[in-house]
Amino acid sequence: MFKGVNASAGIGIGKVAIVEEVKLVIEQKPVADTAAEVARFKVALDKTMQDTEAMKARLLESVGEKEAEIMDGHMMILNDPGLTMEIEGQIGAGVNAEMATETVCNMFADMFAAMDNEMFQQRATDVKDIKARLQKNLLGIESVDVSSLPAGTVLVAKDLTPSMTAGINPKNIVGIVTELGGKTSHSAILARAMEIPAVVAVSDFMKDIKDGDMVIVDGSEGVVYVNANEAVTAEYTQKRDKYLKDKKELEQYIGKPSVTKDGVHVEVVANIGKPADLEKVLQYDGEGVGLFRTEFLFMDRDAMPTEEEQFEAYKAVAESLAGKPVIIRTLDIGGDKEIPYMGLAKDENPFLGYRAIRLCLDRKDDIYKPQLRALLRASAYGDIKIMIPMVTCLDEVREAKALIEQIKMELDRASIAYNKDIKVGIMVETAAATLMADVFAKEVDFFSIGTNDLTQYTMSCDRGNDKIAYLYSTFNPAVLRAIQRVCKCANEAGIMVGMCGEAASDPMMIPLLLAFGLNEFSMSASAILQARKMICNSSKEELQAVADKAMSFTTAKEVEEFMKEYVKSLQ
Amino acid sequence: MVSAKVIIRDPMGIHLRPAGMLSNEVIRFQSSVTFQTGHSQGNAKSMLSVLGAKIRVGDEVTFFCEGPDERAALIAVMAFVDQDRYECK
Repeated sequence: MFKGVNASAGIGIGKVAIVEEVKLVIEQKPVADTAAEVARFKVALDKTMQDTEAMKARLLESVGEKEAEIMDGHMMILNDPGLTMEIEGQIGAGVNAEMATETVCNMFADMFAAMDNEMFQQRATDVKDIKARLQKNLLGIESVDVSSLPAGTVLVAKDLTPSMTAGINPKNIVGIVTELGGKTSHSAILARAMEIPAVVAVSDFMKDIKDGDMVIVDGSEGVVYVNANEAVTAEYTQKRDKYLKDKKELEQYIGKPSVTKDGVHVEVVANIGKPADLEKVLQYDGEGVGLFRTEFLFMDRDAMPTEEEQFEAYKAVAESLAGKPVIIRTLDIGGDKEIPYMGLAKDENPFLGYRAIRLCLDRKDDIYKPQLRALLRASAYGDIKIMIPMVTCLDEVREAKALIEQIKMELDRASIAYNKDIKVGIMVETAAATLMADVFAKEVDFFSIGTNDLTQYTMSCDRGNDKIAYLYSTFNPAVLRAIQRVCKCANEAGIMVGMCGEAASDPMMIPLLLAFGLNEFSMSASAILQARKMICNSSKEELQAVADKAMSFTTAKEVEEFMKEYVKSLQ
Repeated sequence: MVSAKVIIRDPMGIHLRPAGMLSNEVIRFQSSVTFQTGHSQGNAKSMLSVLGAKIRVGDEVTFFCEGPDERAALIAVMAFVDQDRYECK
């Protein structure tokens, strides 16, 4: 078994075809007529340009518009006067076109490779791909054609160049394995777009295989088997068939509204921890983002992120969602995290200590105000809602809202745009907040129930402590009563109530939540379609009886067993 | 020749997207558009050159335009950089 990076989900079983690019030999040669050599380079450049346009057209057909844009990037580089003038300058000084291309492209590729950002480093691959295509056109060498590979082929290469990927026929290629690359390399992006299972960065893979070997590519787990025995092959064949069946079934729910059989509309949205997670949200048709954690902006660095930096991040997320709502949670951090520049003292009991809104209200000038100001400014670019974490009493909400109003006035004075009707809500995750939910519901625009912390605080149970793990169950009647109460208070006050903990995607919990009157289910993006399917096949009215029965039990175990049976009865 | 100096305010400096946008913006002018920072210089019409200059937040960058439409080119550069990411000096 070989391990690599899971670049594109799914399982592919097929025969290996190793794709190797011809090794180009670039030699320095004397140039007698530099003008003729420049002309020769220009012909090759034109040809490369045309090839690139043709690849773009093929990608448009086989994958889609977004992926074809990669080729626009290539054309931009080919058109770049910095590149062409430099090459022509070298030719003018007596260097042959192949060598001039080599030197200049390598210079730019090295420049990209040295940048401390994976996105830039991937551009180095682009420049090298362009270099090879230019040189092949100069030398009159044909590129490898992968479009004619037979059905059931697993493509194996050192690295897939974008031009190779452009030739792939997704009907024939059942899997991709490469020795190089990463999750955000073009080949990975294209593999995902074409829905071909792919494992990348499998070191030394090509040493041990040959054309025609049978391989199993598990792009979900990032593992590859070569000439596996019958038992493993049978297991993976079954896994593959199940994966494809489930996927097909779930895909029917893309673009469908999340509505119960009796016409109750809810929202199924995603939890994200960084802007890059949005790709998945859109892929799985999330109706928005129910929880965007902002901690990533503050971690692993030496200084506080500036308002400007936060503004750019929030704006980017709001814009990518193109009008879909995004609930952004203000900083939820405390003494359990090591953030030296914040100067937080070690808390004896960090989860009950100086954290989240408690910390932010105490550090308005350097932490909370810049964050709220960045959020308000970014609200001009999309449907941003602000969520306050770990609220326990009304004073905290009022103080935070007063600060928001103060910032709004400052923005008005400076004529800076923001959404004047921005919604401000709270995480409901403490026992105090559930008991006072009726009061909070009159002062905030929405609730989002954080079940992980709500369970921990309601059960007085450290969720990281294995010895008391038996206490940590959201199915505990105490926790369920808290959730039911919060939903009821929100429904009565006419405000939205969502849930952004693990429980929102739990098939045993969804029926109860629907019956309680939850409006919004927020979960990891990959769980969205499964949850939507369950919601679309439920009737809120019929679920009342299920919920009543579940709530009549007195222990977590009884509720869990009852719900397990109920979910089983649906299949 | 005309010139103008700006300070880069974007915390990420001039990265991929703005570099592409800048070169796209000025390539239509006949005049040459070059720039100079404390540590580098380059051709603003070339995205690769702009990226290669590794312009970071806080850097002072002077743009030079020379040619028949140099004023229009400089105005275009200023319009591009004056998007609150950058501060004209």
